[in-house]
Amino acid sequence: MDDTGGTAVIAENLRKRYGDTIALDDVSLRVEAGECVGILGVNGAGKTTLAETIAGLRVPDGGRVRVLGLDPRRDRARLRQVMGVQLQQAYLHNALTVEELVRLFRSFYPDPRPADEALELVGLTGQRRTRFDRLSGGQRQRLSVTLALIGRPRIAILDELTTGLDPRARRRMWDAIRRLRDENVTVLLVTHAMEEVARLCDRVALLDGGRLVLVDTPAGMAARAGAGDLDDAFVALTGRAPEGPEEAE
Amino acid sequence: MTPIVARRPGPRAWLTMIQCEAKMVVRDTAGLIVPIGLPLLILVMSASTAADQVVVNGRTVLDVHVIPLVFTIVMATIGIVNLPSFLALYRRTGILRRLSVTPASPAMVLVAQVVVSALQTLAGVGAAFTVALSAFGAHVPARPAAALGIVLLAMSAMYAMGMIVAAVAPTPNSAVAIGLAAFFAFGALGGLFGGRENLPDALATLGGVLPFGATVEALSHAWAGSTIDPVHPISLAAAVAVGAVVSVVFFRWD
Repeated sequence: MDDTGGTAVIAENLRKRYGDTIALDDVSLRVEAGECVGILGVNGAGKTTLAETIAGLRVPDGGRVRVLGLDPRRDRARLRQVMGVQLQQAYLHNALTVEELVRLFRSFYPDPRPADEALELVGLTGQRRTRFDRLSGGQRQRLSVTLALIGRPRIAILDELTTGLDPRARRRMWDAIRRLRDENVTVLLVTHAMEEVARLCDRVALLDGGRLVLVDTPAGMAARAGAGDLDDAFVALTGRAPEGPEEAE
Repeated sequence: MTPIVARRPGPRAWLTMIQCEAKMVVRDTAGLIVPIGLPLLILVMSASTAADQVVVNGRTVLDVHVIPLVFTIVMATIGIVNLPSFLALYRRTGILRRLSVTPASPAMVLVAQVVVSALQTLAGVGAAFTVALSAFGAHVPARPAAALGIVLLAMSAMYAMGMIVAAVAPTPNSAVAIGLAAFFAFGALGGLFGGRENLPDALATLGGVLPFGATVEALSHAWAGSTIDPVHPISLAAAVAVGAVVSVVFFRWD
């Protein structure tokens, strides 16, 4: 079935351009099952394009992707059973309540997480009867994350997990991701937060101007840059390519 | 690892999706006023005089002209204005895209919206007809089966027009604008503001084959018990076909 054995994601020589902007320039990445890999880079470096190409939402101009041995486009119906995706733009049916949205998304999967557990996971139990359009930005984000995880995915692709969350909510999300790791879920985390990388990620993939400039452990990334912490390493290793625009929606 | 099997969402998912769309429609209170309220208002304002003038087969002006117009307004506002505004909103806000990374197809949302729109149409038509029957002594159609068939065909034609609006409108606002413009254009040419006989010939002919005018005409004949000119149901069927082709070709999920 999984011709890849222990490998959850294989991306080979991915290329993507939008007009004159090169979003992915010959990017290759392997992620082992159960691993948590952070995708890092400045705005416009190609992080979201890479994550969404792996999720099957974007078609690369060149290269090949396999997720759990499946082609994200051709085998989309199968892959979607076992992949949970949180998109950067986390908008849902505005007039439905948290509880109603959880119920809707649960109905898509054969063995979903119980609603109470899903809400508790991200600390939204108190908002269960709140309409989506009355949630704060952070609450919407947390709902979006739990909906990505509700079908008990084998692989989770999370685009900016904790952006805009307060420190308490952030820690709660990190706990949720650690629980996924205990369940041997593979996690791809698009992030700007170096503290998050240090706490959660086994490895990081650093993009700059669409090129993959480094794949290493967080400690290895700091060491390679000769930097004291990940923030310094990030600054030292990126910015060689001119900063791109915010990535296309 | 167990093999990964593509499992389509079952009846429970469909039912949940339809319930969710129904809640969206009901909670959009402003969107209910035009399709339910406006036709009732037109009915009440013209019913008392129209109910006294017999046209044919014991059917009055109320039966042969007002009710067909009122039914058509309900079907057209829901199909051409409301349905596409939801679909454009879902596309613009990324909901269709979000659903495309779940086992649910975004097409489920489209189908659920059509089902809910049909229920809403039946509620609107039912409310208007109940008021007409109980308060103004309206009559059932002389050819009930034909009337029912035309209503179903007209609903399909209106949704097909709505799908075109949803396919071409770049934003939710433009969907409402295009939908309203189409509704008033079809309506003006189809008898919304007075009989088509007052229009120049070319426009009157055009109005009779566009979905609004075709529906009013065909329903009017069904109520009166006279022969339905085949041009009207054929026009409606053509609208369904055109809408299906255009929306399949141009509809974008994101």
